[in-house]
Amino acid sequence: MQWLQILVLGLMLGGVYAVMASGLTLIFGVMRIVNLAHATFILLAAYLTFFLFDLLGVDPILSIAITIPVLFLVGVGVYLVLFPRIENSPRFVESTVLLTFGLALLLEGTMGRTFTGTYRLVRPSYGVESFLIGDLYIPKGQLYALIVSAVLLLLLAALLYGTRIGGSIRATMQNRTAAQIVGVNVRRTMALSFGIGIALAGASGTLLSFLFPFFPASHWEWVPVMLALVVLGGLGSLKGALVGALGLSVVAAFVMSEFGPTWQPMTFFLALFLILLVRPQGLYGKPLEA
Amino acid sequence: MATVTPEELERRRAELARAETRAARQNRVLRLLVAAIALGLLAFPALRGTFSAFNYVIQVLIVIMMFTAMASSWNIMGGFAGYISLGHNVFMVIGAYVAGMLLVYRGVSPFISVFLGVALAVVVGVLFGLVTLRTRGPAFIIASIALLLMTRLMLDNWDAIEGANGLSLPIPDFFPTLGKVPMYYGMLAAAFGAVGLAYGISRSKFGLALRAIAMDEIKAEVAGIDTRRYKIIALALSAIFIAWAGTFWGYTLNYLRPSAFLSVAIAADMALMSIVGGKGTVAGPPIGAFLIILVTELSVWLFGPSELNLAISGTILIVVLLFFPLGIVGTLQSRQRDRLARLRAAVEDTGEAVMKGA
Amino acid sequence: MPLLELEGVTAGYGSAPNIINGVDMVVEPAHSYCIIGPNGAGKSTLLRAICGILHPRAGRVLLDGEDIGRLRPDQILARGLCFVPSDRALFPAMTVRENLEMGAFLERDRRVIAERLERALELFPILRERASQRAGTLSGGQQQQVVLGRALMMQPRIIMIDEPSLGLAPQIAEQIFRTIAGFTDMGIAVLLVEQNVRRGLNAAMSGVVLDLGRKVLEGPAAEILTDPRLRELYLGRQAEAAAGSADDGRA
Repeated sequence: MQWLQILVLGLMLGGVYAVMASGLTLIFGVMRIVNLAHATFILLAAYLTFFLFDLLGVDPILSIAITIPVLFLVGVGVYLVLFPRIENSPRFVESTVLLTFGLALLLEGTMGRTFTGTYRLVRPSYGVESFLIGDLYIPKGQLYALIVSAVLLLLLAALLYGTRIGGSIRATMQNRTAAQIVGVNVRRTMALSFGIGIALAGASGTLLSFLFPFFPASHWEWVPVMLALVVLGGLGSLKGALVGALGLSVVAAFVMSEFGPTWQPMTFFLALFLILLVRPQGLYGKPLEA
Repeated sequence: MATVTPEELERRRAELARAETRAARQNRVLRLLVAAIALGLLAFPALRGTFSAFNYVIQVLIVIMMFTAMASSWNIMGGFAGYISLGHNVFMVIGAYVAGMLLVYRGVSPFISVFLGVALAVVVGVLFGLVTLRTRGPAFIIASIALLLMTRLMLDNWDAIEGANGLSLPIPDFFPTLGKVPMYYGMLAAAFGAVGLAYGISRSKFGLALRAIAMDEIKAEVAGIDTRRYKIIALALSAIFIAWAGTFWGYTLNYLRPSAFLSVAIAADMALMSIVGGKGTVAGPPIGAFLIILVTELSVWLFGPSELNLAISGTILIVVLLFFPLGIVGTLQSRQRDRLARLRAAVEDTGEAVMKGA
Repeated sequence: MPLLELEGVTAGYGSAPNIINGVDMVVEPAHSYCIIGPNGAGKSTLLRAICGILHPRAGRVLLDGEDIGRLRPDQILARGLCFVPSDRALFPAMTVRENLEMGAFLERDRRVIAERLERALELFPILRERASQRAGTLSGGQQQQVVLGRALMMQPRIIMIDEPSLGLAPQIAEQIFRTIAGFTDMGIAVLLVEQNVRRGLNAAMSGVVLDLGRKVLEGPAAEILTDPRLRELYLGRQAEAAAGSADDGRA
């Protein structure tokens, strides 16, 4: 039954992956921004969670209530400072890749300077405990992370499909001109979407903070992971992000048990590389064009 | 336009002529400056032993020349052809390891093995091109990052080259007597070679084709340019002096390990320097390399070696992209071009008006 | 006071030269105007400069006497002026009903939205059949009906329509134009841009002729149609462009 154990472990991480990927794909879908700095925002939230736990003893899962609004505001601010200026640039998507790359370097350097390069990990009691169901070993931390992720994704769906703001986000994703002519304030919608995307990065950062050790440069480990999830599903497709996250996390879990943890990241690198070459539109998306 | 007199036309013509001579004079001065810099660099090692900071200065110059070579080469693909890569240091690691392994196991001098490293890098460049140049724009950028990370992971775990631990290179015999001077000339050759190559390409039909591809690939194809072949050639050419620089950088470090070459920061620096100096210009990447290294050294001097360098690089990249997307050289060039064009248009307009009035 | 008034409107894209240059025009309520002119005359640009997607570089756009030249598209829409671009601009992944409901995005009262939806579906019965089908899967003519229905959902006082017949079969286009001609009976002013001069002028009460970004002719549609200067403009342009601009031949 070892394969079942691997499958379960893979799927549990898939939830967190899906939260990371949904923010990234939302940002691309609405604004056509490829956000290479997404993982630095994840780390920012992880550090916030770490210090809340370390200094004030706030449980990491509860601190989501802080990281989400903080990162939302950071996201809106970053959007308004960086992107309206290049809105009409002829190679917009490409410019966003470089711009967010610069942002990633800036944030990584600042975090390195502020938080030092030490490995950090938030250690709540459930970080090391686990349930045993039959032969199945279920780490508590991962299970809680999965539950929180599922709740967050449901809330995201409710926001997108049940509210006026959600309507304007979906409209802008599907056709920006059309959204504009039916009266959607597109600039505000884009700023909000960027904020929501970064808030999702913040939520996933909080969850990662007690699942994986992190340090300022470790966002480079997550960039290819997220890109692979999102490109597999199709950039801009939320359904794709979910399918990609669950699919690849399971594959990566099997690669890990077969070839060891060293080669686990290769799953994502290779997936990313091959999808871009063979099917750049992924499962449900549009191909990446300049 | 009603009150235009022939005198006005004369005045404008004279202004245009003045501006044109000024531009020509500036170009002459710049050319002399480039020659002076080249001669100065060639002669610099003669100062060895004359001042105490020599070893520091020569080290900084080696780094500047290395990045001049790499940014200029990157610019062939990223600037001329418009294919931005964040994985070009793959070629650097090839140059470093081919020479390093030959030195460790066969005692071959890097001044010989550099050619082998370059040859292998060109072959890899063609293969890399055959595979990745099916994508374009952002997809190409992301594919190049994926390639960099895959290479890094494989080299980190390749036992034959000691994986992530890396391997020490023997200290060359000439070291006590010549110090870093041989490495200096090796790197100088890379810098001169890369800038020369970029200059040659910029003035050739091949360069024109690359520019057409950067501007609008579909139109270039319709115009009969075999875009795929040109792009692959450009990628292979851009590998040459990056591998060359990698050879001598490994030799300068006396120690090889994948992380010294395959870091995202180095990939970023090549792009950053080209963009700051001016993507698609010949003079831009060297100027960018000089400025960025200067800023880096300054920040190390002021704040000590820290992650702050990364933050500064990031900030520079953001500021340049937002406010001077053409870079230093690109902005100056386009300003001069616009000025001349405006003056010419003014002469034509007045000319017409005078004719109509007459 | 006229409903909409343009005073010397000048506009263009980015840093490129002006596309339209000092256009004056008056739009009265429940009256329809067809804007015609050769390719590159600036017809679509004029509509974009009015609806806020593009901001005029000079001149004023007055709606009810208020300058709307610097307002965002959604603010202009809220004042009753709506725009239908030539690429139809649907939400392809939403159903026909959702597309129509998006038309009433600025209206928050669910009952009002339902009433308007009912009226739109009465006007376009085919859309009732297709109400739960994804808009991206409709035929061109049906898509155009969705877009017009969506525009009515906004309850505008002015509708600006850019080339509604683009890519439609002639008999479908005829039907679309009959619908548009009926808008004035609902009290809506119509600004129509059309390549096909005869068809466009037949569907409108007045004609406005643009050439190279300037207004060159204006008057009742029937008179414009027979005005020798119109003929001259098109023939002249054709001769100039030799075989170059085949599109103008459609006139």
